[in-house]
Amino acid sequence: MSVFRLAFMNFRNSFRSYLSLVLSLAFTILILFNFQNLIYSGPFAVLGGHNKQYIDMLVETVSVVLGCFMFFFLWYATNVFLTRRKREIGIYIFMGMSNRKIGRLYVIEISLVGVTALAAGIGSGALLGGLFQMIMGAVSDIAVDVRFGVSWKAVNVTGVSFLAMYFFFALKGYWNITHSSVLSMISAARQNEYVRMPKTVLSAKAALGAAVLSAGYYLANKGGRQSMLNNALLAVVLVIAGVYLLFGGLIPLALQTLSANKHFLYRGQRCLWVNQMVFRMRKNYRTYAMVCIVGICSVTALATGFAMKERYHNIVRFDNQYTFQLLTNQSGLGEKASALIGGAGDIACQTSLAALSLDADHLVLKYSEVKRVAQERGERFDLSEPADDETVYLSYQMLMSLIVHEQPVPVMIGGKAYLVTRTVRDAYIGYMQREMGCFYVVSDSEYERLKEQGTTLYIHNYKLADDMDFAAARAAVDTLISNTDENFTARVAVDPFDNDTDWIKALHSLCIFMFLVFVVACGCIMFMKLYNDSFEEKERYLVLRKLGIPSGTISASIAQELLSAYMLPFAVIAVSAYFSVHALGRMMYTSLFSIYVVSTLAVFAVFVLCYMLSVAVYRKNVL
Amino acid sequence: MITREVKKSKMNDNKVVEIKNLIKSYGAKDFQTTVLKGIDLTIYKNDFIAIMGPSGSGKTTLLNILSTIDKPTQGMVTLDGHDVTHISNRELAKLRKDKIGFVFQDYNLLDTMTLQDNIALPLALDGAPAKKILDRTRELAAAFGLEAQLRKYPYQLSGGQKQRGAVCRALITEPEIIFADEPTGALDSRAGKDLLHCLCRVNESGQATILMVTHDPHCASYAKDVYLLSDGMMKCRISRGSDRKEFYSRIIDLQTSIGGDFA
Repeated sequence: MSVFRLAFMNFRNSFRSYLSLVLSLAFTILILFNFQNLIYSGPFAVLGGHNKQYIDMLVETVSVVLGCFMFFFLWYATNVFLTRRKREIGIYIFMGMSNRKIGRLYVIEISLVGVTALAAGIGSGALLGGLFQMIMGAVSDIAVDVRFGVSWKAVNVTGVSFLAMYFFFALKGYWNITHSSVLSMISAARQNEYVRMPKTVLSAKAALGAAVLSAGYYLANKGGRQSMLNNALLAVVLVIAGVYLLFGGLIPLALQTLSANKHFLYRGQRCLWVNQMVFRMRKNYRTYAMVCIVGICSVTALATGFAMKERYHNIVRFDNQYTFQLLTNQSGLGEKASALIGGAGDIACQTSLAALSLDADHLVLKYSEVKRVAQERGERFDLSEPADDETVYLSYQMLMSLIVHEQPVPVMIGGKAYLVTRTVRDAYIGYMQREMGCFYVVSDSEYERLKEQGTTLYIHNYKLADDMDFAAARAAVDTLISNTDENFTARVAVDPFDNDTDWIKALHSLCIFMFLVFVVACGCIMFMKLYNDSFEEKERYLVLRKLGIPSGTISASIAQELLSAYMLPFAVIAVSAYFSVHALGRMMYTSLFSIYVVSTLAVFAVFVLCYMLSVAVYRKNVL
Repeated sequence: MITREVKKSKMNDNKVVEIKNLIKSYGAKDFQTTVLKGIDLTIYKNDFIAIMGPSGSGKTTLLNILSTIDKPTQGMVTLDGHDVTHISNRELAKLRKDKIGFVFQDYNLLDTMTLQDNIALPLALDGAPAKKILDRTRELAAAFGLEAQLRKYPYQLSGGQKQRGAVCRALITEPEIIFADEPTGALDSRAGKDLLHCLCRVNESGQATILMVTHDPHCASYAKDVYLLSDGMMKCRISRGSDRKEFYSRIIDLQTSIGGDFA
């Protein structure tokens, strides 16, 4: 029988046991393909301008992240496959097959798995491509030009990327087999999986893990003007290392301590599942750690998605506080502008206040004036009046910032040093606040003192009742614009139909898809591991049944073991994600706690679903 | 006469297993193979019975039915007064858990746990207090010379130690009967002898009623009674008396007279 025929027979006969691998691979291909399809079939072209440019950039970035993710996922999946096949194909040694021939057999088998997964992934991707674009559009709440066709360029890029990575790992497996000793091949099934490390080493590893993880959490949440990006990158590395050390040290140590405590162990099914977990920890801790890291990414991605949506609405609300704003040195222009705008359409709200220009970079506002304007517009106002040597900076809603420095900083205004005690992002002066970025609020007495040193300017704000009157009102206001030596009048007009920030909504939906990818990947990895374990555990459970242990007891033990398998990584995900989302919140100048809770619950729901599925499949396989 | 009746009544009280006209057939209606053809057997408390027979004589089928893993086609099997042919699966599982101990040829220790946990497992699953489990485990380990091995995993133990551990596990719930399927089959002669001595000891001390299936006359000679199964029927029964070596010779003679492949 030729090697190809033998490999094909193996593939056909063992298809059921390869199914989880094929489906997992097909899923990653499906996701990558759909993102490539988004780039090449251009459903966002209708948005035009820099929206399209930004979205393409985002999708390309996500594709790169997905490519990296695929690389690591293939690494894991092919390793699992190799271990399993090694156990079975090791038997061929007794049939006189050389290692090279067995290696060839492995490469053909894994190629069949890969090609099947590629066909399934691209096939389902082509079928679901249109749906994917529609969902993207719906989640983003932006109009997309849904195209049901398949971009061949997307097929090529996905296929070539996948096959290149896949065959790299297939060849790695070939090398592994050809360089394995006969003994290691045939004893692969009997490898002891118990973490045989002295308690002191495990304790040291656990302590180091906790320290590294804590350092990661600390850095992620540490402020600083310039170091935020560096801190964040270092925090990512430390959290990954910490999670690995935690699962390699603390968890085996805890489980071994529990199993040594017979008063704890000899209670119901604990004797079974705790021992089972201890025994398998050597192999499984890496899987748990990987699931944790991907899980932290998934919670963070979802939180980012929710935060982006919230931020988009805040930005739109901020920018649309007023439809028109005038900044002028002429007193009495407000009534004229009001008459002109009112002639074009109803005015829903109008406010005015004065500002002092002391130098080119700063405009000073009077505390009581700002308070009055905010109250007239119905805006929340919780500022207390600054002291005479203090000021409050009026900033604007931004997407995110790597500078999270919230300490008071000094600023020189009109030759005097003031301490900026607070930075406010509420839209007291609307879009002008963002556009000029130079407004500082001082106390009433300080304002009166400064009045003599500077020039008084007037700010008039108008909000149209009906957005449809915008064009006519703008034409009317534009007649007021002037810039001469004696007088000047600047105008800010906020087009209510402007969609310049729509790309943020796409970012929101991309984050949600990243969450889905990561969380499904977590589920896939856990499910695949437990599915494979169930085949290996079959004999063990047969022994239990032979001993007369009721299937109900065995089922309960399986449920407990799998619950721990899912909940251990989930607990670490929940704790670590709290810090990552908190760090994200600091960068976005908002509290994301409720978003963190919702995102964590979403991951929890997916884990519960995967858990129930795993328990059902596991029981079916072993009982 | 009165004495004989009292003795008989006492015997009835001590019945652990009773089999009457046990028939087991396999296959479809017109192509049935009858493996057991009407077996009658009664096992009393503290019996140590060996069932021997050539390959295909029905030893394993009989053991499977007795241990409630398989069901008979016809006949009655009572275990500790319960008719196992007419009870629900749930009750059967309970019966297996509470009344029966198993010893297998290939030990069937769980490689995920230490010997101590393997021995303790049935009691732990039964919800017994941890202290009782620990005391009982240590007591059994001491009786079988396994105290030093308790913290070891099965892969760190010899075959004999594993099998003695399996016997401890079977004994920990204080079952009514122990079914041993070729318990020395995977052991060398020294380890086999040690194990059989242990079995004899627990039987003689009144701790266990044992039914053992074996093809090995040497192993069978440790039992109090040997039943010879051939072609699905109990051909004869011989009892040991006081001399084991003489009993061994009689078993060999019996084997020779029956013929067939006893391997």
